[in-house]
Amino acid sequence: AAAGLERPQVVSHVQQALNYTVFDCKWVPRSARLLCLGSAARGTGLVQLYELHGARLELLREIEKPKPIKCGTFGATSLQQRYLATGDFDGNLNIWNLEAPERPVYSVKGHKEIINSIDGVGGLGIGEGAPEIVTGSRDGTVKVWDPRQNDTPVANMEPLQGESKRDCWTVAFGNAYNQEERVVCAGYDNGDIKLFDLKTMSLRWETNIKNGVCSVEFDRKDISMNKLVATSLEGKFHVFDMRTQHPTKGFASVSEKAQKSTIWQVRHLPQNRDIFMTSGGSGSLHLWKYEYPAQRSKKDSEGSEMGVAGSVCLLQNVTLSTQPISSLDWSPDKKGLCVCGAFDQTVRVLIVTKLNKI
Amino acid sequence: MPVWLREHSWRQTLTAVYLSLPLRGARATPANIFCSEQYLKVSIPPFLFEAVLYAPIDDTNSTAKIGNGNIFFTLYKKEPAMWDSLTVANAGKEKLQYLRENAVLKAQEKAKEETEAKKITKQEHKKYALEATMKLEEAERKRIEDLKEKERQKVAKELEFWKNQQKDADKYKSIPKKGELYQETEPLEDRKNEKMNKTSIPNEGTSKIIPKSTKGHGSCSIFSQNFKEEQLPAPRAAATIKVSFTPRVFPTALRESRVAEEEEWLHKQAEARRIINSDLSELEDLKEEEKNPDWLKEKGNKMFAMGNYLGAVNAYNLAVRLNDRLPLLYLNRAACHLKLRNLHKAVEDSSKALELLTPPVPDNENARVKAHVRRGTAFCQLELYTEGLQDYEAALKIHPKNENIEKDAEKIRHLIQETMQSS
Repeated sequence: AAAGLERPQVVSHVQQALNYTVFDCKWVPRSARLLCLGSAARGTGLVQLYELHGARLELLREIEKPKPIKCGTFGATSLQQRYLATGDFDGNLNIWNLEAPERPVYSVKGHKEIINSIDGVGGLGIGEGAPEIVTGSRDGTVKVWDPRQNDTPVANMEPLQGESKRDCWTVAFGNAYNQEERVVCAGYDNGDIKLFDLKTMSLRWETNIKNGVCSVEFDRKDISMNKLVATSLEGKFHVFDMRTQHPTKGFASVSEKAQKSTIWQVRHLPQNRDIFMTSGGSGSLHLWKYEYPAQRSKKDSEGSEMGVAGSVCLLQNVTLSTQPISSLDWSPDKKGLCVCGAFDQTVRVLIVTKLNKI
Repeated sequence: MPVWLREHSWRQTLTAVYLSLPLRGARATPANIFCSEQYLKVSIPPFLFEAVLYAPIDDTNSTAKIGNGNIFFTLYKKEPAMWDSLTVANAGKEKLQYLRENAVLKAQEKAKEETEAKKITKQEHKKYALEATMKLEEAERKRIEDLKEKERQKVAKELEFWKNQQKDADKYKSIPKKGELYQETEPLEDRKNEKMNKTSIPNEGTSKIIPKSTKGHGSCSIFSQNFKEEQLPAPRAAATIKVSFTPRVFPTALRESRVAEEEEWLHKQAEARRIINSDLSELEDLKEEEKNPDWLKEKGNKMFAMGNYLGAVNAYNLAVRLNDRLPLLYLNRAACHLKLRNLHKAVEDSSKALELLTPPVPDNENARVKAHVRRGTAFCQLELYTEGLQDYEAALKIHPKNENIEKDAEKIRHLIQETMQSS
């Protein structure tokens, strides 16, 4: 038991019951405030801004919009502006100034169906290059938007003519280490993972992990691609080593089956890119650490470089709810502070301790 | 008849009786000794010693020592008194009997009581042990809870501290921020107007015009925001990447798979294999291998390949008599009939095959295509072109990329048109 207590503990700090379904929760950068995005019972969208006060959350502001909101990101905004980009059930991408939320700063009907996932890059003083937002939708397309260009996306990844479409469930930016380089990774409901290179405007890699991909994330967006974690239905997640791409075998990966239920989200700790948390359909959170192998790449029989995947070890797990925890966000400012939203209409602020000792 | 042991010797004190019993070579164990309050018996077949004691003794505390071919009893008297003799004198047979039985009964009761007492003490011990472990576990749990609580409090304090730091930092930021807001709204509107003019340009696909205009705009305003924009690269040139998705393989997208139907098909196949129509007396003449429908099917296939269509039909016939549930037998027989120009039989067999090939799953696709094609061919040779076309189209539905089927279907369509025109 003593050894167990030396591991990181997940301490539940605050629980807040909501009267609507929360789909996404995000920390407001450089503050102790957080946002909850979701859908109210009457079918409208809600954005609530909370502030952490001791052991409770104080509601600062509530914004109602005509369509339910599925996802949001601060990734493409500057630290001064802190505009929120949201995707809603109707396929609209909006960017809001939370101080003046009556009219969006940017708005486009980007997709024909619900925007399942959104990510932003180039903002918050992280990385280089133009701020861009990527949205993935149930209409099978993945579109990249530049807030300076109205109406048309700067990149569009869509199915071939006549090809049946698959729902895109998750998108993530990566490899944005200089002004030109950028990739978008997209996960689909049939298990496809595709990596699009925005510099060459081409498909760089694709694979299929057999079960629908619920969430993908690079360990860091603003460095040369290092690791990618993809989670799926049926409790499995894969960690790909993105440093070495083999011409036919692609990227090396290690996979782990965490639990029997869907793994809804994966989020890397902003302060340590080898630690990540997965949230599950059984209401549980698992904290993992990735261990690199002795040699990250080796030569295969024909002399081409191929990657070597490392291993993953479970640091801690905790069950917080009986319903799936669908959204998770680490605070970029305080190490170990995170917020998660579950389908039991509760948002919880958690603190993970002892992360310094890892 | 037992051998009585009579050479015992005894002496007594006021409180105890000491009895010594030589055993004449027999070996004694505690099980051979039976003692109750007033009755003592030692039975080592064939030797027997019994004594109905003069007065009651305390049999629980009395002892018997076995050794040196001798049993030495130390019997403690219930009432301290000197006995006239060891045993009761003039004990009648009935009295002896009665005493004996009584003694046995008493012994039994005592044994029962003892086991009861033992049980009770055992339970109490268990309870005690359980309570003790529970207490220990409680203590452990509490200790862990306390540690966790301490962590929580420490962490909460840290959070408060950090939060206050943030608040202070925010306060300093909010003042210039408000100033910025006013400045921002103006260039925002300007930019919007610019963009209205620009929207037509991206559609043309030329990307060179855009960077120029932003740079131009940046130079005429002095706000910090726009300076930053100049450092940012221009919006990307719009482009599209076409993707295709992994085809629907059975294990993928489990929720779309047709597991139930696949299972049904496999089940049917398994059943079909098991059927042996063994009610044919002619079977006894056949060799072992000739009773195996699969072997017969192979035989049939070989004969078909060599051109011996009648032989093949015979082989399939026999196989069918053995097992009428294998669709492939009918399918192959249909092919033979086609070659033999037994067109009606070909139609029959293809139909039977198709019947057995339900439910339609990817597994039996090829078989179904063949069945449809063969039946279609038979119909056409019977000049029933519409029915034939129906079958060809069904086959195309399963395998749309098959050119031969497509060509044949076309031919039939032409034929139908011609016949319609001529009639």
